[in-house]
Amino acid sequence: MSTLVTLPVLLPMLGAGLTVITSRSATLQRLIGIAVLIAVAVLAAVLLVAADRTGPIVAEMGGWAAPVGIALVADRLAALLLLVSTLVTLAVLVYSIDQRVADYGRETPSTTFHPMYLLLCTGVSLAYLTGDLFTLFVAFEIMLSASYVLITRRTSASRIRSGMTYVTVSLTSSLLFLTMVALVYAATGTVNLADLAAQVGELPDGLRTVLALLVVVVFGIKAAVVPLHFWLPDSYPNAPSPVTALFAGLLTKVGLYALLRTQTLVFPQDGSKTLLLWLAVATMVVGALGALAQNDLNRLLSFLLVSHIGYMLFGIAVFDVAGIAGTVLYIVHHITVQATLFLVSGLITRRTGTVSIDRMGGLAKTAPALAVLFAVPALTLAGIPPTSGFVAKLALLQAGAGSGVATAAVAGVVVASSLLTLYAMARVWVRVFWGTPQPPLSDPDPTDELVVGTGSTPRPMVAAAGSLAAVSVAIAVAAGPLSAVTGRAAEDLLDRGPYRTAVLGEEAR
Amino acid sequence: MLALVAAHLALAGLLPLLSARSHRAAFLVGALLPAGALVWGLANAARALGDGVTETTSWAPALGLSFSFRLDALGLVMLVLVAGLGALILAYSAWYFGPDSPEAARSAALLLAFAGAMLGLVLADDLLTLYVFWELTSIASFLLVGQGGEDRASRRAAVQALLVTVFGGLAMLLGFVLLGEAAGTYRISELLAEPPRGPMVGAALVLVLIGAFTKSAQLPFHPWLPAAMVAPTPVSAYLHAASMVQAGVYLVARLSPAFAGLALWWVPVVVAGLGTMLVGGWHALHETDLKRLLAFGTVSQLGFLMVLFGGGGRFGDVTALAGMAMLLAHGLFKASLFLVVGILDKRAGGRDVRELSGVGRALPGLAVMSVLATASMAGLPPLLGFVGKEAAFEAFLDGGGTPGLLIALGLLAGSVLTVAYSARFLWGAFASKPGVAAAQPQRPEAGLTVPAWLPALGGLALGLAYPLVDTLARGYAAAYPPTGAEYHLALWHGPGLPLLFSALAVALGAGLHRLREPVTAMHRRLRTPVSAQRAYELTVAGVERVAVLVTGRIQVGSLPTYLAVILTAVLLLPGTALVLGTTLPDEQVLYHAPMQVPLGVFVLIAALGLVRARRRFTAVLLVGVIGYGIGGLFVVDGAPDLALAQFLVETLTLVVFVLVLRRLPAHFREARSPRRVALPKALIAIAGGAMVASSAVVVSGARQQAVSDVSREYIRLAPEGAGAYNVVNAILVDFRALDTVGEITVLLIAAAGTASLVLATRYDRHRAERVISGSGGPEHEEEVLG
Repeated sequence: MSTLVTLPVLLPMLGAGLTVITSRSATLQRLIGIAVLIAVAVLAAVLLVAADRTGPIVAEMGGWAAPVGIALVADRLAALLLLVSTLVTLAVLVYSIDQRVADYGRETPSTTFHPMYLLLCTGVSLAYLTGDLFTLFVAFEIMLSASYVLITRRTSASRIRSGMTYVTVSLTSSLLFLTMVALVYAATGTVNLADLAAQVGELPDGLRTVLALLVVVVFGIKAAVVPLHFWLPDSYPNAPSPVTALFAGLLTKVGLYALLRTQTLVFPQDGSKTLLLWLAVATMVVGALGALAQNDLNRLLSFLLVSHIGYMLFGIAVFDVAGIAGTVLYIVHHITVQATLFLVSGLITRRTGTVSIDRMGGLAKTAPALAVLFAVPALTLAGIPPTSGFVAKLALLQAGAGSGVATAAVAGVVVASSLLTLYAMARVWVRVFWGTPQPPLSDPDPTDELVVGTGSTPRPMVAAAGSLAAVSVAIAVAAGPLSAVTGRAAEDLLDRGPYRTAVLGEEAR
Repeated sequence: MLALVAAHLALAGLLPLLSARSHRAAFLVGALLPAGALVWGLANAARALGDGVTETTSWAPALGLSFSFRLDALGLVMLVLVAGLGALILAYSAWYFGPDSPEAARSAALLLAFAGAMLGLVLADDLLTLYVFWELTSIASFLLVGQGGEDRASRRAAVQALLVTVFGGLAMLLGFVLLGEAAGTYRISELLAEPPRGPMVGAALVLVLIGAFTKSAQLPFHPWLPAAMVAPTPVSAYLHAASMVQAGVYLVARLSPAFAGLALWWVPVVVAGLGTMLVGGWHALHETDLKRLLAFGTVSQLGFLMVLFGGGGRFGDVTALAGMAMLLAHGLFKASLFLVVGILDKRAGGRDVRELSGVGRALPGLAVMSVLATASMAGLPPLLGFVGKEAAFEAFLDGGGTPGLLIALGLLAGSVLTVAYSARFLWGAFASKPGVAAAQPQRPEAGLTVPAWLPALGGLALGLAYPLVDTLARGYAAAYPPTGAEYHLALWHGPGLPLLFSALAVALGAGLHRLREPVTAMHRRLRTPVSAQRAYELTVAGVERVAVLVTGRIQVGSLPTYLAVILTAVLLLPGTALVLGTTLPDEQVLYHAPMQVPLGVFVLIAALGLVRARRRFTAVLLVGVIGYGIGGLFVVDGAPDLALAQFLVETLTLVVFVLVLRRLPAHFREARSPRRVALPKALIAIAGGAMVASSAVVVSGARQQAVSDVSREYIRLAPEGAGAYNVVNAILVDFRALDTVGEITVLLIAAAGTASLVLATRYDRHRAERVISGSGGPEHEEEVLG
């Protein structure tokens, strides 16, 4: 079983190498990418079932037992997020392949796209699975450097410039991350998370707070928590839609996952509850207001992404089983729906030739399939029942309501920003799908890879985006077993015992 | 019951396929399902009035989510309205929408889906189940009001309806969750059996009431309802008269048995209800559009219903009896009247009271039917509306004390207005007006008139068969404290105050109608500056303005600002904690070896110089100097291998930089920042550096063991386990080899990324016409890289 834990990291890495070798054959490249991701998805499902039945599964890398060596740990949380993330990466990959086939024909290979895509998946898998703070840093580096290439790849100069914001801010946060790792190591002499759980507890309170807050800042940047979110709406909207979908769905969520993991395992609530509550409020409100101020569809969605990060932060701040379980459920839901929305936005832009919602109109008449495909994730994001967004939001509201007046008040903010989300979505609906149909605008930059303004929507791309929307419907249908798993995952996270025992052996108890 | 609801939704999904062939067939097939639901409900009526029919399907037990249904007396009344009127209105729609109507296909599917959601709402025995269907009806209403969104008015009305009702719905959801957490259950029947109490419950109830008020268009949320009249008439008849807008009243009725004893519950309901009844009635008196007249009438009647159901705990079970009778009566007469307006609109050429004339003479059947429906609305015997109104006056006049009397007088005033606008409706629709050309209406076909006749006749039949209504109402009213004398719904209670009130209402109302011209003139003069519609518009505009303002301030688009914010966050959060919560270790030495001093100073000077450098070459050199200085520190600390690695990297970087510099301008192009910018930048940077440095000192001082367990293990395992005498090597290539592989991967990615950027750019320069672009399509890339 423990070999299986390494495969979600190794397979995409191997696949990346193979796609470099096969860069002359477009078909082979595509098959490798899809096959690898399907395999990882299956593995993640197996790991989830196994971890749910028997507890965390640990792989000791190089045969060195933790804390000397690096441990990869698949517990319920890691396996669940890995599964959902891989389903999303798979759908996005299929979408971008369809896009390329539609625009450039079946035979045109892509030299950098496939290797970078799979390396990004490698980084994501490693981030979820690693039980080691430094390896987490490495995972982020793999993920982010692959993302730098994807965001600046084959695009116009102005987009490269906006990519610079992303790269510089990410590098800054990586530098802070590295500083944090160094400080933690200097204080405790270990970087193994399970070991840190005990060692950090022995540090003086003040110092523990310093480290805990530094962790909040570092992962807060990655997760785009207000006021550390600026970079996101300035950079994401400028990438091609599959890349944006991938980033929006996954990267911020990996940051949030890291925050959740460290907050529960290493720094259980070191004086950060009030702070996290305030940050959650600021994130929800600023993000939602930002979305209302936008005319650019992608920017609007990016701000909504920021807003909903606040929801997940809220669950972490509540910090009981209900809160953590709510956050995990929300992450699962949000990864899927946010990626779907960006894919659909890509389809809309492709058809209309613009991202400006003022210049669109009447799409419900000219492209009813697109209207349905937008409506489902839009209602999901707004948390309208019976979608997955409603289930996840309900879990968070219950956590807030059951944990005192302060959190109940923040639950009120959750509800308010839900309304603003719905308003933003209604505005998109009114301007883009209602009204008189507009002819497609011509491609503003025909030299870049992105082909827009075609006035048509290729079926395979619709199918790919639709399959992702179907995943989010499936999340709602399977809310029963899913919320049970997230509940158990949350109990484990707060208990810390099962994780530590699995990594360090019985004496860690 | 879930199957019944799901069948509606599923068939709604299939209806567009049928609509493509024939709209009429789609509507008629759609009508079959609600009709089936009605039959099912009536077949189960006996059980519903007994213990109730229950059904539960689990969804997410961990969250208390389930689909729980229960058919009881109140549910049955709502079911009759929702399913019965739903079937009639769908059948009516089959003739209302023309064969080429672009709205027909959409409306057929949405109306049926709405019927399903509404059915789920009224049958729900679980707060969360109720909420699920509640919001679905809001979405259906949005889409049905907006239709294709071609004209501005319908778009605005749709958005307003959505925002207002979802605002209330979300508040209600939070209220439900607070209530559920306090009670430990979301089951309505369990909540009613054992109502929770506590401060959170108070907040919860207020939130729930917001939901009920927005949905049932109570003051001050009411303007969305008249605005929604832009929808096709069958939609207005079904959603905005007979079913959806009654949902708020239904919710109050549902929860009142548990909470009506609390002043926090009944006072706002009664006050808002009375206010709404009066304001709605007053506005209805002056509308010229028959649909809007009816809409304000609906607002008014909903207020009336609120008073009846909210007052149940305080004023006893007779209010509940009256409420049930009025609920049924209102659904029936209002649906009928809306369908009449639809017929006038389609067959008589309009619905404006100023333009309609002589329709009564041309279509006497329609006029008779309208008289029947309006009579019920005005509370004339022997119609159901009269039965309900009698009971309402009785409830508040008999033993209600001063508050009861005040409420009864309020209801009397509301009833006067009701009678007046009922008269106005009949006059407006059917009277022959001097100076207006008589309409030449077409004869409406039976498909339009029969669905309108049935509810009107229903009001008459149920008025005559009042014992039946009494039994039904009693099934619900039993949950309330009984009033002294037993009261039964009936047409004749003998002379008394209630009868006097009813008579007064009719007489005064007729008088008011007669005085319509002076009254309208007064209405025009009374234009209040405060209007709920204006408040809504200001709120929305205000939120948008705040959004633009806040976002403009925060999202400045400047990278240096973003970096400054990040550093400031570091200084404010961990930095403050560092200053306040930690102390420097006692034994602090400034340096371990004398050589550290000059090396440190050297690095610092180079760093300062770097900041001031204007030439790229100088900057690159100084970066190198800093790197060599740090390498020197490694040497002093006894780590020659690290130092060697550092020197190698620095040298290589320097060489690469110099090669690149040849292609760049010699000087940095940005102008020097002015002092007011440079100073904060410098302060933040210095503070950041100082913070990291002092953290390092504090952290190393806090360490328990000089050599940690892990380090000791590395030293022990390196020779015997890894066969290495250099521990660092063993760590890099064995103990933590995965990290090394990962970092190598990062390096490769960086190389590939740089190559793709550089090569693509070079290729672009090659093709002179594409200099601006960073790269081209994939075929370029292939040519360059492949």
